[in-house]
Amino acid sequence: MKTLFRSLCVTAGAVALSAGTLASAYAVDLQFYFPVAVGGKAAETIQALTDEYSAQHKDVNIDAIFAGSYQDTVTKALTAARGGKPPQLSVILAVDMFTLIDEDVIVPFDDAATTDEDKAWLNSFYPAFMKNSQTGGKTYGIPFQRSTPVLYYNKEAFKEAGLDPEKGPATWEEMVEYGKKLVKKDANGNVTRWGVRIPSSGFPYWLFQGLAAANGKVLANADGNVTYFDDPAVVESLEYLVDLNKVHGIMAPGIIEWGATPKAFFEGQTAMMWTSTGNLTNVRTNAPFDFGVAMLPAKLSRGAPTGGGNFFIFKDSSDEQKRAALDFVKWITAPKQSAEWTIATGYVAPRAETWETEKMKAYTADFPPALVARDQLEYAVPELSTYQNQRVTKILNDALSAAITGEKDASTALKEAQAKADAILKEYR
Amino acid sequence: MSEQTLPRTRSFRFNWDKTLNTTGAWVLALLWFLPLAYAIWTAFHPALYEVRFDLTAPLTLENFTKAWEAAPFARYFLNTVLLVTGILAGQFILCTLAAYAFARFDFPGKTVLFTLVLLQLLVMPDILIVENYKTMRYLGLVDTITAIALPYLASGFGIFLLRQTFMTIPKELEDAARLEGCSILGVLWRVYIPLAKPTYLAYGLVSVSHHWNNFLWPLIITNSVETRPVTVGLQVFAAADGGLEWSVINAATLLTSGPLLIAFLLFQRQFVQSFIRAGIK
Repeated sequence: MKTLFRSLCVTAGAVALSAGTLASAYAVDLQFYFPVAVGGKAAETIQALTDEYSAQHKDVNIDAIFAGSYQDTVTKALTAARGGKPPQLSVILAVDMFTLIDEDVIVPFDDAATTDEDKAWLNSFYPAFMKNSQTGGKTYGIPFQRSTPVLYYNKEAFKEAGLDPEKGPATWEEMVEYGKKLVKKDANGNVTRWGVRIPSSGFPYWLFQGLAAANGKVLANADGNVTYFDDPAVVESLEYLVDLNKVHGIMAPGIIEWGATPKAFFEGQTAMMWTSTGNLTNVRTNAPFDFGVAMLPAKLSRGAPTGGGNFFIFKDSSDEQKRAALDFVKWITAPKQSAEWTIATGYVAPRAETWETEKMKAYTADFPPALVARDQLEYAVPELSTYQNQRVTKILNDALSAAITGEKDASTALKEAQAKADAILKEYR
Repeated sequence: MSEQTLPRTRSFRFNWDKTLNTTGAWVLALLWFLPLAYAIWTAFHPALYEVRFDLTAPLTLENFTKAWEAAPFARYFLNTVLLVTGILAGQFILCTLAAYAFARFDFPGKTVLFTLVLLQLLVMPDILIVENYKTMRYLGLVDTITAIALPYLASGFGIFLLRQTFMTIPKELEDAARLEGCSILGVLWRVYIPLAKPTYLAYGLVSVSHHWNNFLWPLIITNSVETRPVTVGLQVFAAADGGLEWSVINAATLLTSGPLLIAFLLFQRQFVQSFIRAGIK
């Protein structure tokens, strides 16, 4: 059927070509870059969705282009933009918004979304996701593959340690208390099962925000030009993280790998882990035991960062292209498509409407943990995003690593980081 | 009597130098081989055995099937082969002609030109990505295999290497050929190229393995399955958010680097000899 359809298209194309350039005057061409950050069916799902859209909209040729990791995608998009041939649309990390504005390569969605209906649509996303997508009163990004970290725990290990398997730790103190009960050692005193695992390789700043937010502090202001790394609450959060190993002995020492974390959880080397909701489908398929999902534990309140990618519209596009791009983004974030995407990947559907669809209701009834991430959004803070984002987050990452490995104490490391960040961000104030 | 015992005692004497050398070589070889051994181990066993060593673990080819299906690798392989052979052919032709001119002819501006060629060795290709992109766009070549290859054809390294080799070839051989009535290009074809064969082989290996593994530029300049090389296909697996599946990643890595590894093992002797002769380390 598909090949028949294709050959029909080719014939139609040939006819159109022979009729002159009329056809190309009507069809709008869109290039759309997308990264893949979770394994499994992400790339296939995006391809299938764009194919479906093209089949329904004959006047738009949309070309979905896989662009590697998030890092590769932003490099590719920026190179193409500087080289004079940007894509019209790309999914890029939400936190790269300031960088893209600074490079002057994107336009706000408000430029194309002019009708009342469009404006209502812009307001239909969860506010937690929009904090990273708007600045100066304009909307630059539309949430798409967004996530938030949650705490996964091994119910069987909980039962074994005499804990209630239906309840994850609700506070910092509880996490330590549970952790101590969950740690298991062999006859030689070597730990065979740790209490908790909070990965810290590569980008420790992300999960660290889950601690800082619970302690009542965001790491940067909304304008992206002031950071609060050396705030006492932030220092206290880092001390708590370091003490999980140093004082309480419930987490493995040193830097903990991201990629190996789900595996360690499956193998029973840790009873709890903090990681992205992007892992839900993976854990569901591969955990050989019953597992639970809980919100990150609270200190002053609950708190967690958001993460993941937004849609951005690029500047060098014609008005028709911008309108077509907007139309596509509206379509792919609509409840039906959004539900398909969420179920395939585990990303958090960014609009309340999606959760009301029959498909999502059936999914969450069958798999209630999927709701935890959504409910946590109420307490979510924006992921750290500033001007010169790559450099500023690197400074924080280095400080966190230094504290975790014991090279420096928490307050010295964070003070130094704040001074370096100030030096970079001064010119943007 | 003494004539008979002397060699015998020698053969029993412990040779420190040789033993150290051999042990060192073995240790280095094992260290080098370890990641490859791990890749082979995980690729042929179910994911359960990624971190467990068990000789009786069941063997499986499932990881390879999974990896092969994760991206259109058949097409990517074809593209990579077209790419590396195209680049190699282009480099051989351009570098040979340029090196011959620099080695054997006198013309105004020769030193300046040669310095410019050498300067190319100092510039990281990654810095030029935006400029190269602009050029390719101007030529209308974005999203073609030609666009991936073009910036690498006039290789400064290749010109330099071949010039050095050509200069070591005795001028008398050329004179003799000229006396026999050989043309300028005939001399190049009949004298210089045959004598520089080891250099070509060594340079060819470096070039092919470099372009086989190149990732960033191909990713940026191409958009479609029809033009992308295997390295871009491999990137599908580098999705750390969802937890890494080492068994599938390693299967994919073996698949993509396999042809190079096999080629190297087959032509190992020639490669090693030509490296020694050409002086590339």
